[in-house]
Order: sequence, then C-alpha cells, then structure tokens
Amino acid sequence: MIPTHYFLILSAILFTIGVVGVLTRKNGITIFMSIELMVNAVNLTFLAYARQFHQVHGLIFVFFIMAIAAAEAAVGLAIFITLFHHRDTIDVDEANLMHW
Amino acid sequence: MEFAIFFFFAAVAVIFALVVVLHRNPVVGALSLVASFFALAVMYVLLEAPFLAALQVIVYAGAIMVLFLFVIMLLNLQHVAEPVTRPVQQFLGYTSGAAFGLGLLYYIVKYAVFAKLPAGPFVTDARTIGIKLFEAYVFPFEMVSILLLAAIVGALLLSGRQYQKREAAP
Amino acid sequence: MPFDATDIGLSILKIAIVLFMMLNITPIMVWVERRGSALIQDRPGPNRVGPFGLFQSFADALKFILKEDIVPAGAHKWLYTLAPAVGLFPALTTIAVVPWGRDFRLPEKVWFGHRFFEGRPLFEPVIANVNAGILVVFALASLAVYGIVIAGWSSNNKYSLFGGIRASAQMISYELSLTLAAVSVLLVAGSLRLTDVVWEQTKYFVLFDTIKIPAWNVFSPAMWIAFIVFSVSAFAETNRLPFDFAEAEAELVAGYHTEYSSMKFALFFMAEYMAMGTMSALVVTLFLGGWDIPWYNEPPTWQGFVLSALFFLVKVSVLLFVFVWVRWTIPRLKYDLLMKIGWKVFLPLAILNIVIVAAFIAAGWL
Repeated sequence: MIPTHYFLILSAILFTIGVVGVLTRKNGITIFMSIELMVNAVNLTFLAYARQFHQVHGLIFVFFIMAIAAAEAAVGLAIFITLFHHRDTIDVDEANLMHW
Repeated sequence: MEFAIFFFFAAVAVIFALVVVLHRNPVVGALSLVASFFALAVMYVLLEAPFLAALQVIVYAGAIMVLFLFVIMLLNLQHVAEPVTRPVQQFLGYTSGAAFGLGLLYYIVKYAVFAKLPAGPFVTDARTIGIKLFEAYVFPFEMVSILLLAAIVGALLLSGRQYQKREAAP
Repeated sequence: MPFDATDIGLSILKIAIVLFMMLNITPIMVWVERRGSALIQDRPGPNRVGPFGLFQSFADALKFILKEDIVPAGAHKWLYTLAPAVGLFPALTTIAVVPWGRDFRLPEKVWFGHRFFEGRPLFEPVIANVNAGILVVFALASLAVYGIVIAGWSSNNKYSLFGGIRASAQMISYELSLTLAAVSVLLVAGSLRLTDVVWEQTKYFVLFDTIKIPAWNVFSPAMWIAFIVFSVSAFAETNRLPFDFAEAEAELVAGYHTEYSSMKFALFFMAEYMAMGTMSALVVTLFLGGWDIPWYNEPPTWQGFVLSALFFLVKVSVLLFVFVWVRWTIPRLKYDLLMKIGWKVFLPLAILNIVIVAAFIAAGWL
C-alpha cells in the first residue's frame, strides 16, 4: 500500500505546474488546459483522502467535479470560439473589450 | 511492485504535464494532457477507485480532451505562433509559481503524514457510489444536471449562431 | 498477491488465444470484404492467389512490408509515427474484458511427474474479469478516436485534417448513444461485469407456458431499440461505411491516412478490422447472448467450453459479415445528416429505451 502523502505530493506538483501554466502562457486554450490539470490534481487529493479515511464522500465529490469540468469545458471552448471569431486570435491579451 | 507502478506513472504524469505547460504547440499540449490524465487514471486504480478511473478516462480523455482537440483543429491554431510572454510576466510567473509549490510541498510534508491506512478493503464499486449518490447527494446531483443543461444552452448561444453566419461547418 | 504459476500460465494462454484470433481477423476479413463486395457487385473479385484468392491477403501483406515508408515533408514526425500505434491500442485491448466461452473447472492432471490444477481452479475464458467491465470497454473505446485525430493532424495535409476533425465530432456524438444503449442492458443484468451480463442471458423467456425463447437481450420486448441504436452506433464508432467520414474516399482522397504508406498504413487497416471484431464481440455479448447456445445447456466441462466458444465465434463471424454486407449496400450519408441522426434520433431513442427498461423492471416484468 502506497502511503497517502505520496499521492498528495504528486498532486501538489501537478497543481503547481498548472499554476505556472496559467501564469506564464498567453494561449487561451493552453491556459484552459492548465486549469484542467489543476482540477485533476485536486481530484487526486480527494481520492487520496477518501482512501485514507475510508469515506465514499470523496469519491462522490470527484464525480461531481468531473461533471462540472465537462460543463466548464463546453462553455469555455464556446467562449474561445467566439473570441476567435471576433479577434482572429485566442491570445488572452487580446480579449480586452472590458479593459479600462 | 506497487511502488514501481506508482513512480513510473507519477513520472509520466509530471513529465507530460510539463510538456503541456512548456510546449508551444497546442495540439502537442492537448495530447500530452491526455497522457497525463491516463497516468492519473492509473493513480486512481492504485487508490482503490477503479470505477472513477474508468470515469476519468471516459470523461476526460474520451470527451473533454477530444473537444479541446476539435476546437484547436477547427480554429486551425496549430500554425499560429504564440507570441512570447513578456519577460516580467515570465519571471514573476515562474518564481511565484515555484514559491507556491514549495510552500505547498512544505506543508504537506510537515502536516499531512499519516500513521497508517485503516485496515480492511475500501469498497468503491458502482453500487456503493450509486447508493450514496442517490441518497445523501440527490440535491447536488440534480443541481449538476441543471448546470449541465445550462452549459449546453450557454455553449450553443455563445458559439452557435455567429459561427453559422461566417462559414459552413466542415 | 501470491505468485501463482498456474494462474499466470493460464492468463498467458488466454492472451495468446485472443491475440491469435485478433491478429488473424485482418487477413481473413480483407479477403471476406473483397470477395463479399465482388459477390454483391456481381464480379469475380480477387481469385488468382491460391484457391478462391484465399492467399491474396498474404500477398498484400508482403507488398505492404516491401513498400517504401514515406514521411511527408512538414509532417510532425513523432506524432506521425505514433498515430498508427495509438490507433491499434484500443482495438487490441478492449477485447480483454469480453468473455468468449463458458467457464469450467479444470480437472486435476499429472504431467511429467508434477501435479497440475490442484483444487480444480476455475477457468474463466476472459482475460480480465474486472468488476467494472463495461466501463473499461467504453474507456478504451473512447481512446480510439486519438489514432485518427493524431494521424489527421500530423500528416500536414488538409484532407487528413478534415478527416481528423470529422472523426472527433462523430466519435463524441455516437459514443453517447452507444453508452446509453448499453446502460439499459446493465439495468437488466444488474452488474457492470460482462460475465454476469452473459449469464443473465442464458435464461429463458417462457411464452404461454410452452414456448421457450432464449432471454437474449435482442428478444426482450424492451430492449430491441437499444440493440438497433447500439449496433448502428457501433458502425459509427468503427468508422465503417455508412459513417466512414474520417476516410470518405469520394470527398477526402483517403481521409486521415492519405499520407500514410507501407506498414503504417497496414496498421491502420488492422486497427479498423480489429475494432470491427471487438465491436461485433461486444454486440454479441451485450445483446445476442454472448457464448450462450439457445435451447442447449452447456455442460460445465471442457466440451461445453469448446462448444460455447465456437458458437461465440460463429455469432461474431455472422456480425462481421453483416458489417461487410452493410458497407457495400448502403451509401455514405451526408455529414450534417450524420450529426442530425446522432443527436436528434439515436440519443433520444437511447434515453427513451432506458426509461422503458426501468419501467419494465419496476413493474417486475424483467
């Protein structure tokens, strides 16, 4: 049996990679993928704790997170398609219509 | 044996996650993310949750990432070179990200070390999850279905009409 | 888990049998396809190499090996090479959870002075009898699209790219109806394990206390809609002719594998036929009673196992022929029609069928 904190450390590493991706990239879809990576890191944490405490609730949270991630992907990609049709790019710096 | 599997797939997950963040080509990034998710599904199996591992592959690798690839190819983004991020943003992004990660690791190593796992099997088959889902979590379940419906309507509203005006679907 | 030599040996044996079958599907099906199309179009077809042209496939294979392997300029080299392997992976692995015969207890034997099969272990003719069998099938089948998408994108060819885009949209759409059609089967079986699904179908429906109909899911009054939806979606999932938009040779040259040559092309070919074999095996397992022989009680011995395995093979072969038959009978749909059918007909039908089956179960009829 692999100890729980191994999974937690892996999850932390993946989450950090996701954070770096969001902070340093300009391509909207890459940023979005980094967010998905962070969401998955959190899922891993949920499952690790679920096994540590033998609680099914953690699994159900992961279930919900997956459903919400699907919804998020649909809406997010629709936003990027719209952005592309208005600006011909998905560079997030170009999405400055509400910029003051 | 279990540890070998863990370390191999942990390495796979981390390396492909790095490719996602560092590679300039979004298609390569998306495919690497699929590989990373697949490695995470193996982690779920190691965590005694094969049901969720299958769901992970179906939902993430099979649906969400295909959608990403579809959009990348539809917008023909693979030939567009991504403009270089400003050096200030690069520097701040990497340093603050690294600081955040180190802090996270420090607190995990310091506080989240557990003595041992509870004995006995951890039952996580479809039946257990289903019963829990429809007893304790009925309300969130319904809310998620409404959210999904709203997402469908929203996605159609956002991308549907303008898109048809400009060009026919391929 | 303790090291069990018998267990590992049996697993290797099972894998060898299944792999042998899967690898031989391609040459046989290529022959069946070419001769079958000739039969349907009233022409002789390949008849020069061997009796009835039976060795044509081997000649083709030899030709594939000897052809020059070309990587087009501007292609993404890594992904271009990876794509055929990625395409083959789900086709080869999905079959692992499908049961292909009746299980039986191995008799104790003495060979070379060693006692084998002590305690008469159960021989289950399925490589991995996992708890979430059907989910594994869908998880692996959902990866099938990546081979096509990667090939289409990395070839640096606009026709290939169109093939990849179409394939991704089509697969997402039809996977939904495929999964939802299978849900009604799972409702009746009450288990995600495919062996349980088959055992459920070995029972009988009794009409008027006299006529016994095997309880295969196709014959179930609530389930034939699911059968139709599932099998048509299976055609879409394997990119076979009424739905072969990834290839569409009339519009896209050869679709996603336009640029491929030599063994890489042959791998795509193998992946297509293996996916057909896997899908047929799945349809048989979920709807046509798996290895069950109707009106015959297979004995729990090796004879019963061999009979049931042969019967399973016969059923799969019939379905494979149906695949060929449909390919040369029904022309390709229009792309928008494909999407319309997927989302506006099959998806509602699959959901409706789940409701019907649930109502039947609630009423106690199933």
